[in-house]
Amino acid sequence: MPEAAVNHYKADLRAIEFTLYEHLNVEQLFALEAFSHISRDECDAIIAQCHRFVNEVTGPLNGAADRAGCTLERGVCTTPAGFKDAWKKLFELGLMAFPMPVADGGLGGPHAIAVVLEELQSGANCAFNMYSGLTHGAADVISNFALPEDRARFLPPMVDGRFAGTMCLSEPHAGSDVGAAKTRARHLEGNVYAITGTKCWISAGDHDLAENIVHLVLARIEGAPTGTQGISLFIVPKIWVNEDGSLGGSNDVTTASIEHKLGIRASATAVLNFGENDGCRGILVGGKPHMGMKQMFRMMNGARIAVGVQGLSVASAAYLNALRYARERLQGSSVRQFKDPNAPRVPIIEHSDVRRMLVEMKAKVEGMRTLCVKVALHADLAHALHAVDEAKAIYHQGQVDLLTPIVKAYCADQAFRVAELAIQTYGGAGYVQDNPVEQYCRDAKIFSIYEGTNHIQALDLVARKLQQHGGENFTAFLTEIAEFVAAHSDKPGLGAEIRALGEASAALQRAAGSLMEFFMSGKIDQVTLVANPFLEVMADVAIAHLLLGAAVVADAKRTKDEDVDDDEPNRHEVDFYSGKVMAAKHFVNFVLPAVHAKVGAIVSGDRSALDMPDGGFSTAF
Amino acid sequence: MKILATVKRVPDPETSIKVKPDGSGIVADNIKWVVNPFDEIAVEESLRIKEKVAGSEVVLVSVGAKVAQEQLRTGLAMGADRAILVVAEDGLEPLAVARVLVKVIESEQPDLVVMGKQSIDDDSNAVGQMAAELLGWPQATFASKLELAGDQKTATVTREVDGGLETLSFPLPGIVTTDLRLNEPRYASLPGIMKARKKELKEIEVGALGVDVAPKARLVKMEPPPKRQAGKKVASVEELVHLLHTEAKVI
Ligand SMILES: Cc1cc2nc3c(=O)[nH]c(=O)nc-3n(C[C@H](O)[C@H](O)[C@H](O)COP(=O)(O)OP(=O)(O)OC[C@H]3O[C@@H](n4cnc5c(N)ncnc54)[C@H](O)[C@@H]3O)c2cc1C
Repeated sequence: MPEAAVNHYKADLRAIEFTLYEHLNVEQLFALEAFSHISRDECDAIIAQCHRFVNEVTGPLNGAADRAGCTLERGVCTTPAGFKDAWKKLFELGLMAFPMPVADGGLGGPHAIAVVLEELQSGANCAFNMYSGLTHGAADVISNFALPEDRARFLPPMVDGRFAGTMCLSEPHAGSDVGAAKTRARHLEGNVYAITGTKCWISAGDHDLAENIVHLVLARIEGAPTGTQGISLFIVPKIWVNEDGSLGGSNDVTTASIEHKLGIRASATAVLNFGENDGCRGILVGGKPHMGMKQMFRMMNGARIAVGVQGLSVASAAYLNALRYARERLQGSSVRQFKDPNAPRVPIIEHSDVRRMLVEMKAKVEGMRTLCVKVALHADLAHALHAVDEAKAIYHQGQVDLLTPIVKAYCADQAFRVAELAIQTYGGAGYVQDNPVEQYCRDAKIFSIYEGTNHIQALDLVARKLQQHGGENFTAFLTEIAEFVAAHSDKPGLGAEIRALGEASAALQRAAGSLMEFFMSGKIDQVTLVANPFLEVMADVAIAHLLLGAAVVADAKRTKDEDVDDDEPNRHEVDFYSGKVMAAKHFVNFVLPAVHAKVGAIVSGDRSALDMPDGGFSTAF
Repeated sequence: MKILATVKRVPDPETSIKVKPDGSGIVADNIKWVVNPFDEIAVEESLRIKEKVAGSEVVLVSVGAKVAQEQLRTGLAMGADRAILVVAEDGLEPLAVARVLVKVIESEQPDLVVMGKQSIDDDSNAVGQMAAELLGWPQATFASKLELAGDQKTATVTREVDGGLETLSFPLPGIVTTDLRLNEPRYASLPGIMKARKKELKEIEVGALGVDVAPKARLVKMEPPPKRQAGKKVASVEELVHLLHTEAKVI
């Protein structure tokens, strides 16, 4: 019997509104020429429709789809019940068009708003959103790099949901090392090549949601240089698409298997064989050979932010479920009445330790959301100011580049940690399938692995992004924090925390100095040893800054608590703003101090992990 | 064919409603507002007719505060052609709303008026019936199915009545009020939302219509429902029966 549909998803629309409009002033975008075709009213209407869609359609499918998973029988991959109908509704709604350029049939909406739409969709059903997310990523690459005739051939059906998309980088021997890819391309005619090879781990690699799947495949043209410079990118449809857009025959792409996974079980992860019968054709993207990595990087940068948003989404859903449960579950009595055996049972939210877990989750979730929206806003401003104020556009793009690995790695890690805390908050009830948090935890683990493992992100940060533009991006990041600290360090009620941010930022600078020393003295293995802790330090500083920024805004808006009594209609607005202040203070006092311990480890120059003899790990085998 | 559908701005059924401390109404700040769900069904039904009958026009009407523009835009985003907002900042009673609608109907001369059977805020369930009476038009309320004859001169409506279904047929023009099962309203699509901005939304001051909208009743007091009391765990069936008898006095 099919499992009953229960929607566990809850979105925090008030918190989202605060981040967008009260804290980060996303509204500034609508005054700029590049976004003048859209208004806040329309964006709000779109968010409202998306919210309704995820609660009515995809949210209720999440649990049952996880249990059912995907199946592959006789080469045909089937998604869980309800996904086909949800896909149809998603494209009737037209969400895919939102961030796409107007020229390609999109709405050209701001990324800052797209982040919210993604949060709602991934939060309600992370696995389902993989299919549309990858379709969007692939369409974005085609929109940016493909020849006009290929854009016309592939984009309209990808925007209206007839075609889906994938990104095919990984191979059995080429995971983190994408340049080791062995898939080959042999020139046939014009921009058309014969493709042969095997790709693995391909998300949304096969399914029954769309008529056709457009694979973007990295392959090496015969005679090309080795390594990443020799890689080209091809559009390889599952079913060939004729020049007039009509469907041709099968393109010799077969699904060898799909994985059985820890999480996102309703997202089909496929092993794909291209050209087993020498009948697979691919179109060289943009007609330019050996440009594959550069082109794919565009998608990867977008996809890395998208993975960060996935982290935020699942974390937020886990937190709000834990909060709901903590308000309902009665257990134990208040510690303040420990002497009274007849003291009444209280909801667990009244216990200090449960509150500690909840506020930590809240701070991290809201910090992640602010970080994601802020980076998206930088991207929007870079785009909008491109022709108007080149220097500013460069600054904003620099912040996007610098913060992308942090968005990806921090949100990925914290999604898992928050989901784990959510399970802990529930106790035993969190460990079983009756409640959704065990699924959130399983779903969240993949975020730190795909799209470049978190260590690959950390390497990108320490080896490329810190030094980019002669280090100016990093300097601008630190300057913004220094200015914030200088402006608010005397603020009553928050001054101590704001000064603590200043100290953490100084520690971050010390760590960056150590990294430089390691580089200069040729201790590259020492740099990579501390790359992850360095990224974590920088992320904590960034999050503390954003949470305190929100707290300063909120503090100015809340009337003094004492002035509002419990029945006052304004009560929950006052509580909302107080919540922002408390979350920031808790984060600074309970989480941020770890920065100093990590910086201590980084600057110590300790090499034990490197000096460890291989046999020292264990002599068991 | 010209179809008129009504749209009322109401609090989102999902928001928690707070009554003002002095009982004079609800707290209107910080709540989400939506299209009355029954009206959404009316808009959907009108759009479905438009999709079937070539050359049809769907006109939306709202009577209410200026902010009701937002709900009319939602209806336009679903696909309606244009909208009329009769601006009346103070809430009107059903009879006043019916009179206002009659004025709009007289000037627009639609072939069919589709309305929600009631609005989920005041639950009066009266305006459709009153407007039909004032116009001398046929009416079919609580529709769960609506069909038009090939020549669009008559409508056949299935109504949900106690214990079964009733089917009525009547000549147009007429008024139909919608029940929940009539249809499942579509989402306002993104392209629809973008197009809605350019569609006509005409505002008319209620005073300009020359109808009597003076209230006939006075709101005495609004009260929230009493708070739910905490439950009680009992040790045995005997104790439960005993308490039901002595404390709750229900058996
Ligand atoms: C569910 C799922 C979905 C996926 N979807 C896609 C997809 O749609 N398209 C696609 O192309 N791929 C996809 N992948 C593949 C994913 O991107 C890879 O798993 C990932 O890049 C890591 O590669 P790997 O698994 O081969 O691990 P490896 O590269 O073998 O890495 C193993 C470990 O070694 C570390 N490591 C590797 N190289 C280095 C180095 N140079 N320096 C330091 N440490 C290193 C890694 O950080 C990791 O901890 C997916 C994977 C999964 C599990």
